[in-house]
Amino acid sequence: MNMATTNLPAAPPARSRNLLVSVGFGIAAVLMYFGGLFGVYLRERSQVRSVGGSWIPDKAHIELTPPGMIIWTLLISIAVMQWAVYSIKRDDRQHALLAVGTTLAMGAMVLVQHGWQLSQMNLVADEGPTTAATLIYTIVGSYMVAFVIGMIFVALMGFRALAGQYSSRQTDGIVAASLYWYCLVFIYFIIWIAVFIAK
Amino acid sequence: MTENQTETGSNAAESASGSLDIGGLAGVFGTSDHKNIGRLYIFFGLSGGLLALILNILVRFERINIGSVGVLDFGSSNQFFQTWSLSRTTLLFFCVLPLLIGLASYIVPLQVGAPSLSFPRAAALAFWAWVIGIMIHVVTVFTDGGLGEPDPISQFAQGMDPEATELSMLSIAMVVFALLLGTVCVLATIISQRPQGMTLFELPLFSWSMLIAGGIWVLALPVWLSNLAISWVDFQGADALRYGAVENIWDQLSWLWSQPMIFAFAIPVLGIAGDVIPVSSGVPQRQYRVQQIAIGAMGALSFGAFVQPFFNPDVANQAVFVVMGILIILPILVFLGGLADTSIRGNLSISAHLILSVVGVLALLVAAVASAFHVSGPAIGAIQEINDSWLDGLISWLRDVQGTVLATAVMEHVLIASVIGIIAGLYYWAPKIFGYQLNRNVGILSALTLLGGLALSGGSNIINGILDEGDEVYHSSAYEGVWDSNAVEFFNIVGAIGSILLLAGIGLVILDLTISVILRKGNDENVKDPWGGHTLEWATDSPPPTGNFTDAPVVDNERPLLFPAATGGDEQ
Repeated sequence: MNMATTNLPAAPPARSRNLLVSVGFGIAAVLMYFGGLFGVYLRERSQVRSVGGSWIPDKAHIELTPPGMIIWTLLISIAVMQWAVYSIKRDDRQHALLAVGTTLAMGAMVLVQHGWQLSQMNLVADEGPTTAATLIYTIVGSYMVAFVIGMIFVALMGFRALAGQYSSRQTDGIVAASLYWYCLVFIYFIIWIAVFIAK
Repeated sequence: MTENQTETGSNAAESASGSLDIGGLAGVFGTSDHKNIGRLYIFFGLSGGLLALILNILVRFERINIGSVGVLDFGSSNQFFQTWSLSRTTLLFFCVLPLLIGLASYIVPLQVGAPSLSFPRAAALAFWAWVIGIMIHVVTVFTDGGLGEPDPISQFAQGMDPEATELSMLSIAMVVFALLLGTVCVLATIISQRPQGMTLFELPLFSWSMLIAGGIWVLALPVWLSNLAISWVDFQGADALRYGAVENIWDQLSWLWSQPMIFAFAIPVLGIAGDVIPVSSGVPQRQYRVQQIAIGAMGALSFGAFVQPFFNPDVANQAVFVVMGILIILPILVFLGGLADTSIRGNLSISAHLILSVVGVLALLVAAVASAFHVSGPAIGAIQEINDSWLDGLISWLRDVQGTVLATAVMEHVLIASVIGIIAGLYYWAPKIFGYQLNRNVGILSALTLLGGLALSGGSNIINGILDEGDEVYHSSAYEGVWDSNAVEFFNIVGAIGSILLLAGIGLVILDLTISVILRKGNDENVKDPWGGHTLEWATDSPPPTGNFTDAPVVDNERPLLFPAATGGDEQ
C-alpha cells in the first residue's frame, strides 16, 4: 500500500485563482463607481423634488418600454450565461459556446435599445441642459462603457473556451466573465428602478 | 502562457538560464517582467517627486510677502491655483502611488514566493498608461488647463483654456484607472499566488499592508472617478449641474487629499517599517497578529469616500468623521509600540533604512495627532453638551481651525511620511532591486534632511493653521483675519526653507541611486541577503532571475528564512 502511494506522481500545485480574484476586485471597483454616481443622482433628485420642482423636464420622453425590454433581456441573459458555466463545467464546449454567443447577441440587443432610447429621450433638445440630463447621460453612458467592456470580456473568454483553454478542470475564465455579467445586470436593475421607474 | 501567467515546465527552465532576458530599449518598452516594471515605476516616481516638490517650493514662495512685496507672483489667483493643485496631484499620482505600486510590483511577488506578478502584461499596460496619462496631465496644466479655476469671472482674461482643462480631466482619469489596474495586479498576486502553507496571516507585513491599502484604493478611487465623470460630462455641456463649473471641479475632487482618505496612501509605510525593524533588530517581530490588526484598523479608519464636503458641508461636524479622525492615532501607536518592543528585545543595528523607516512612522504619527487636533472642535462640542459652557472659546477656536492650512499640514505629513517610508524601502531592498547597496551615510543624511524639511514645512503649516491662515492660499481671503500677519509671514518663510530641504532630501536619494546603481559605484558584495532578512525575497539571488525561484517555496510561518517550514514559527 505504501509502495503504491509513494509511486504516485506528485499532486499538481493548487490552481491559481488569479482571474477570479482580480475580477472580484474589478466588480468591487465598478460597484463603487456606480455607487458614487447613484449617490449624487439621488441627492440632486431629492433636492429638486423637495422644493416642488420637476426632476425630469416636461418635454422629455422617458418611456418605460425600452428600459423594461432591457431589464428583461438582461434577466434572461443571466440564465443564458449560467448555462455557459453549467456546460463548461461538464465539458460540453458546444453548448457553452452557444450560450456565450447567445449572451453576446443579447448584449448587442441591449446596446441597440440603449442607443434608441437615448435618441428618443429628448432630455436636452427642447428645454436646454438640465441637472437630470447631465446625470442620466453620465450614468447611462458609463453603464454602456462598462457593458461594452463586459461584452469584450465574455467574447474573449468564449474564444479561449473555443481554443480549448477552459474545461471542467479549469472553468475560471467563463465563471469570471459570468460574475462580471451578473454585476452588470445588477447595476442596470438599480438604474431601471432609480432612474427610469422612480424618475 | 495561460491567462494566469505562471511559469511552468520548459518555460521555467528557460527562465532559470536567463535566456529570456532582453536588454536595451526593447527590454524597457516591451517588458512585462515585474522587476523591470517595478524599477521603471521607481525611476519615474522619484522624478515625479522632484517635480511635486519643486512645485511645492513655488507655492511656498508665492505665500511669502516681505512687507507688501511678494517673493514670487504668479500673476493671478487662477495661475497660482494651477500650480497649487498640480503640486498636490503630482505628489499623489506622480510620486507616492506609483512609488508604492512600483515597490510592491517588485517586492510582493518575491515576498509571496511567486514567479511573477499576476497579469504581467496588464501591469505593463498599467505602467505605460500611467506614464502617458501623467505626462499629458502635466503638460495640459502648464498650457492653462488643470482641474478647474478658483476665479471663473476672469477665466478667459487669465488664460484658462477649456480644451486643456478637458484634457486635464481625461488624462487624470487615465492615470487613476492605470494605477487601479496596477493595484489589482498586486492584489491578485498577494491573494492567489501565495505558496503552499502561507495563509494571509503569514504574509510579510509589507505585502499585508499593500493588501489592506490596495483594497481601500480599489474601493475609494472609483468613487473619485465617478466625481470626475460627472464634472467632465457637465463641463462638456452648459454647466447645468454646475459640478463642471470651473470653480467647482477641484472642490468636488479635493476629498482625496483630505482626512481620513489621505491616510490610505500611507498604510504601506507601516508595512515597510514592520519588515525593516525586526530585521535590523535581528529578532522576529513580536505580536505579529496585533501588528497586522493595527494595519487593518488603519485601513478601516482611512476609508473616506463618504467624506465629501462638497456634497455635505457639515461632514466635519459629524460623529463618524470626528471619531475616525481621532481614532487614527491608535493603530499607529499600537504598531509603533510593537516595533519598539521588538527592537528593545533585539540588538538594533543602525542603518539608513532603519532610520528612514522610524522617521516615516513618526511623521505619520504626527500627521495623526494633527488630524485629531483638526477634528477635535466638534468632539469637544459634544462633551460640552453633556457638561457646561466653559469650553465655548476653545470650541469656537478649534472649529475655526478646520478651514485653515492645518488640513494642508495633515496632507503634507501623510504624503511625505509615505515618501520617507518608500525611501526606507528603497534602501532596504536596493540590493534585491538593483544588485547594489546604497550608501548608508547618504541615506542617513537624506533621512535627517527630510525630517528637518518636514518639521519646518509641515510644522509651519500647523502653526499657521493655528494662526488662522486659510487653506485656500491662492485666494487673498486666506490671509484675512489671521491673528498675527507678521508671524504668518515668518512661518511661511520657514515653510519655504522646509520645502527646499524636502527637495534636497529626495535629491540626495536620487544622487545616491545615480552613483551607486547607474554609475555602479555601490557595494555589490553580499547583496543576496546583506541584512539577514526574515522573508522570502531574501531567499533568492539579487536581483532575482526570471522566474524568481528555482523551486516553489514552502512556508508555514511569517518568517520563513528565520524559521524554515519544518520548525514552524511558534517560538514566542
